[in-house]
Amino acid sequence: MNERDQNEGLPDPRNEYLPLAQWLQQVLAITPQPNAELTSITDNGARFGDDYHMEFYQQLPDFVLALLHDDTQATLRFAPLLFHLIGCPTCHAAYLEIYDAMRATVVPGEIHLLAGNGTHSMATTSTRMLVYLCRLLINQAETVLRQARQKHIDNDAWARSLLQQAIQISSHLTQSTLRQRALHDLVEVATLFDGAGEPAEQSPAAHSYTPVMSGGATRHGGKTRRRTETIDRPAEQPAIYLQSGLSELEGRITQNEDMLELHLVELDQKLRGHFLTISVPLGSILEPVRWLGGNPYAIRSQVPVSEDGSLTTPLGKTELRISNPEDHNLLEALFKKLDVRPIETM
Amino acid sequence: MPFTAHDLRYDLERSYPSLCAYLQQRAQRYLGPLAFDANEVDQVVGHIVEQLTRLQLLGGGDHSPQTALDRFSNAQFYAFLNRSVKNKAIDRLRKRRLPASTLAELEALGNSDEENNPMSTVTNSIWGSTPFPTPEEVALHAASHQELRNLLKHCIEELSAAPRQLQAVMQELTELGAGDLLKEIDEKYHTLLAGLPLAHLSQHKDHAHKKLRHCLQKSSSNLAVLVAFRLTEYGHYFTGTEEVSVATQTLAQDDLSKQEVQTGLKHLVSEGLLDWHGEETVRFSSIQHKHLARFYEEGE
Repeated sequence: MNERDQNEGLPDPRNEYLPLAQWLQQVLAITPQPNAELTSITDNGARFGDDYHMEFYQQLPDFVLALLHDDTQATLRFAPLLFHLIGCPTCHAAYLEIYDAMRATVVPGEIHLLAGNGTHSMATTSTRMLVYLCRLLINQAETVLRQARQKHIDNDAWARSLLQQAIQISSHLTQSTLRQRALHDLVEVATLFDGAGEPAEQSPAAHSYTPVMSGGATRHGGKTRRRTETIDRPAEQPAIYLQSGLSELEGRITQNEDMLELHLVELDQKLRGHFLTISVPLGSILEPVRWLGGNPYAIRSQVPVSEDGSLTTPLGKTELRISNPEDHNLLEALFKKLDVRPIETM
Repeated sequence: MPFTAHDLRYDLERSYPSLCAYLQQRAQRYLGPLAFDANEVDQVVGHIVEQLTRLQLLGGGDHSPQTALDRFSNAQFYAFLNRSVKNKAIDRLRKRRLPASTLAELEALGNSDEENNPMSTVTNSIWGSTPFPTPEEVALHAASHQELRNLLKHCIEELSAAPRQLQAVMQELTELGAGDLLKEIDEKYHTLLAGLPLAHLSQHKDHAHKKLRHCLQKSSSNLAVLVAFRLTEYGHYFTGTEEVSVATQTLAQDDLSKQEVQTGLKHLVSEGLLDWHGEETVRFSSIQHKHLARFYEEGE
């Protein structure tokens, strides 16, 4: 009679703990989000799954490796993760996936396929994969910032690094519609930084500008454009064109040697004769611009708005060149939001 | 151009195109009849890219902690990616209701380099099944594993700061018939709980569950149990004295960081089980040794 036969008929000792196990599941259950599967790459507007738990997910490879090495204390050492896996179906599914993939790495004699020697560049990479990566990096930055806020720790540098990489990678996308999609949540996430956004004492923006979508990077002269018809647009002058959604105002940013200059037109009557405070919320994410006055949230216009409602004022110096496509795209990302508000005169 | 995990962590912009090219090539290989469906290929590649981002490898730099993936050899890292792609491709094939046998047929018809890739069958036969295949199995392990059950006991005891919540959980455990777990807690907190009315227990139960979730998933709890175990296991008595000592380095072994050991020790100090002020060697009395053992071991 083999061992199995001998054990037949005996109660499974683990059954003794079944009620406690079921109770643990009840205590630890995390209600999954309605859309538990992470956002598909083909979904353009949707957000990524919020039911992923960064702190635990990141421990999975070390936990799995400990299990693969038969570490007897693995479950105690990773007890918080283990208890989390009881109640979180998303992280448990990731655990299974990672376990299986890591198991393939420790098979004796396994022959592994290395990448070929072909030359690959951003230009040859699928634009969908570039957009997707940018959105993932921005989403990851958001998760990092939200977790830091919950735990009262400072992860600003980490989140900033992720956003910088997203902006940098998006600059390889030549179509501005794709760049806009890639950086869809950038402004929202950037406002999560400690001390970011508008100072509490600031009034709401009089006008909020965003870059105008265009097909090409620099040669705008011949492009069809729904707006920016009234702004003075010298032929062939590289620029970033802006528009204010609600008021349908227009503007542009040009470059005079190192200096970036803002040009606004048709500003309302109430702003005329006033100096303006210009706020570039993403100005502290990328560092290649030395902002006038040092604070991208409060750049003071050098002159007041003229009687005809126009304003031309410097913003800051940079070595980037609007005439260079990739630099143009970086700067365009930086000006994804530009607010103006009047400075009250005494 | 080959890439490494290190490249993806520190030089994402340069290495991402190579990663995509590799994943795409593998995805086309495993997707079989869907190999020319760009959407399906992107689904597979996108899934792996997302996983690597969530694991904080892509663009993580020095900001995110390194994991086992960073310590893989290049060959191991590629094997990890390859297997991940294969699993996701099978998942896509299943979702499109294509026969699983398609995959095997494709393997047989594969290019010459594919003969080096009989992963699935080899790994499954050598390594058997995956531990904790379902959340239920994880829960059963946690409930039946002595140290983890003791951790649960420790977290239940922490509820004593709110006796009604402790009472609510005790009642649940009584109904479950979890006698062993209850016995010691009951002895210890019998006086505290005596005379408490049984009203509104459901509300207290919800609060208690929330606290338990937090306690069980915070790292200081399990580190305290682990360090208490190691203190009792590796502590040496000074000759002719009642004092026990153990170096913090010994407590770390190969699997805990110095910070984790310190977290565990601080937790034990907060429990009143140790007097330790950051010294390299932890010293404690034989009485404390008993209490530590009691902290680690389940009530007998």
